[in-house]
Amino acid sequence: MSNMMMVAWGGFVIGLLFGIVGQRTGFCLTSGLRKAWTEGDGRMLRAFALAMAVAIIASHGLEAFGYVNLQDSIYIHRSFSWLLFLLGGTLFGYGMIMANGCGSRALVLLGSGNLRSLVVVLCIGIAGHMTLTGVLAPLRLWAAELSSVTIPLPRASLTGLAASWGLGSTLALWIPALLVASGLLAYCFSHGGFRSSPRHLIGGLVVGVLVAGGWYVTGYLGDDDFDPVSLNSLTFIAPLGDTIQYLMLSTGLSVRFGVTVVAGVVVGSLAATLASRSFQLQGFSSPVRMARYIAGGLIMGIGGALALGCSIGQGLSGMSTLALPTFIAVAGILLGAWLGLRGPLRLPPL
Amino acid sequence: MSRTRSLVTTSWSRRDFLRISGAGAVTLGMMMVSPSLLARSRPWARHDAIMELLDGAEPDTSGVTLELPSVSEDGSNISLTVRVDSAQENGEYVKSIHLFAPDNPNPEIAVFHLTPLSGQAQIATRIRLNESQRVFAVAKLSDGSFRIGSQDARVTVSGCLTDDATYDSSGLMQARVRTPRSLRPGEVGEVLTIINHPMETGFREDADGNTIPRRIIHSFVAELDGETVLRADFHPSLAANPYLRFHVKPNGSGGTLALEWTDDEGETTREEAELSVS
Repeated sequence: MSNMMMVAWGGFVIGLLFGIVGQRTGFCLTSGLRKAWTEGDGRMLRAFALAMAVAIIASHGLEAFGYVNLQDSIYIHRSFSWLLFLLGGTLFGYGMIMANGCGSRALVLLGSGNLRSLVVVLCIGIAGHMTLTGVLAPLRLWAAELSSVTIPLPRASLTGLAASWGLGSTLALWIPALLVASGLLAYCFSHGGFRSSPRHLIGGLVVGVLVAGGWYVTGYLGDDDFDPVSLNSLTFIAPLGDTIQYLMLSTGLSVRFGVTVVAGVVVGSLAATLASRSFQLQGFSSPVRMARYIAGGLIMGIGGALALGCSIGQGLSGMSTLALPTFIAVAGILLGAWLGLRGPLRLPPL
Repeated sequence: MSRTRSLVTTSWSRRDFLRISGAGAVTLGMMMVSPSLLARSRPWARHDAIMELLDGAEPDTSGVTLELPSVSEDGSNISLTVRVDSAQENGEYVKSIHLFAPDNPNPEIAVFHLTPLSGQAQIATRIRLNESQRVFAVAKLSDGSFRIGSQDARVTVSGCLTDDATYDSSGLMQARVRTPRSLRPGEVGEVLTIINHPMETGFREDADGNTIPRRIIHSFVAELDGETVLRADFHPSLAANPYLRFHVKPNGSGGTLALEWTDDEGETTREEAELSVS
């Protein structure tokens, strides 16, 4: 099997597992934040934090054993636009509250028969590509140039920062990773309700491993002297647009990791729904709600493209590399979600 | 007033109507025969570099296949495969394949000179495209005839920000080669090569606004026991880290395949690989 095929199938398997686990456990940052901030139930948010901790440890483990070099990922980019990362993250976070779930959650729900999510998925995909390569791209590039900064480190991550303080390469790799991960784990496991909820424990654990699985598939299985594949993991903005594009232009395109992940998530969720006999077609109850979901999807697509990632792309894949720009994007996502849930731009609950 | 206007619009005679619909029918007819018209419209005719190569000859528009992705987000590295449907034997073979990107600052991409030892007129490489355009491949056959093929390629702005205006010169001119372990007699083998090189076009500026001088690999030769298998001239429209996939059909019992690259500063790299036929 060629390395491209291995990456395509690897992506499908990762997507499949994400879809099954997402469907069975309800893994979702939006509902995690909503439950923690408005209902006082912090378990789902801790599941997300557990996924982050597991992803950080597993990804750095992959690098320590020489399987991948996280520095090749798009997240550890020395030059980035702080303005677009913050603005994009905020837009994404707000859109996520408007549409009641991010791109990955919408795919999982789509597999279980929720047609509202189809609208969200299409809006994210189209708006994301409008911003990356379409009508909004010139504006994005113009704004990026105005606010571009370059981090004066050879590696724009906490690892690079630790190395610049004189730590050896092994220590620089492990100390920040273990510090951040143990902080997250302490936050998770200090909560009794979370400790005794297998659903949340499994959701966080599996999704965290899948993030590292993405690095392994694209970075190790995809490695080829003549035909290198770009290092990638789970993310759901560009891949949604890529999937729409692939459906329309597949004779002239080669299949990419992100596209097979998207297909896998829908299939996995569908399989899990059918196996548990919970498949149910659902649509919009009112046009107002539909308009809100459309707007949320478009805002998520634009914001996710500006910040180079969504709640999963920056929030888990980006965080697993401990990239410095990622912290800005994640702060933006949390700010946007706060504005929509508790802040001055609060949205009525659905 | 309104009355006269309505008179004017309704006063078309039956003859007018017939004349107009007749013109419509002609237009429709032209649209239906358009494939042959398009072929005769010779889309390459307005590109000087191609016309110069053809030198008055009329190329056959079939038999050359160009494969390019329909949409690319990164114009600096686009996979391209060109294939000429022709025998590659002593009597009749494809002598050369010329690739053109007419809307690039440098329309020539590369020229591949093939021989009967090439076995198969099929080359894969990676190219640069400045903008969306039609890419052309012209094949010159041993009997002096030409064939031409083309493919539209769309290039969008990059999905991601890129930096690294300078390149790491430590691995410069380091090449990797993959050849088949062994071949059966008469079998065509596939050779993959890639060499670290920035293929600096001479059009780029560094952070201080100074033009980075041109430095590209301009020639590549593959020889089997001293006999040419493939010779290639590269131009700045070839992507950085030149990649080639080509074919070799050894006579008899194989031999040593020697590959040599030369860049603008006269630096060369030579790689050798044994090809055994059994």
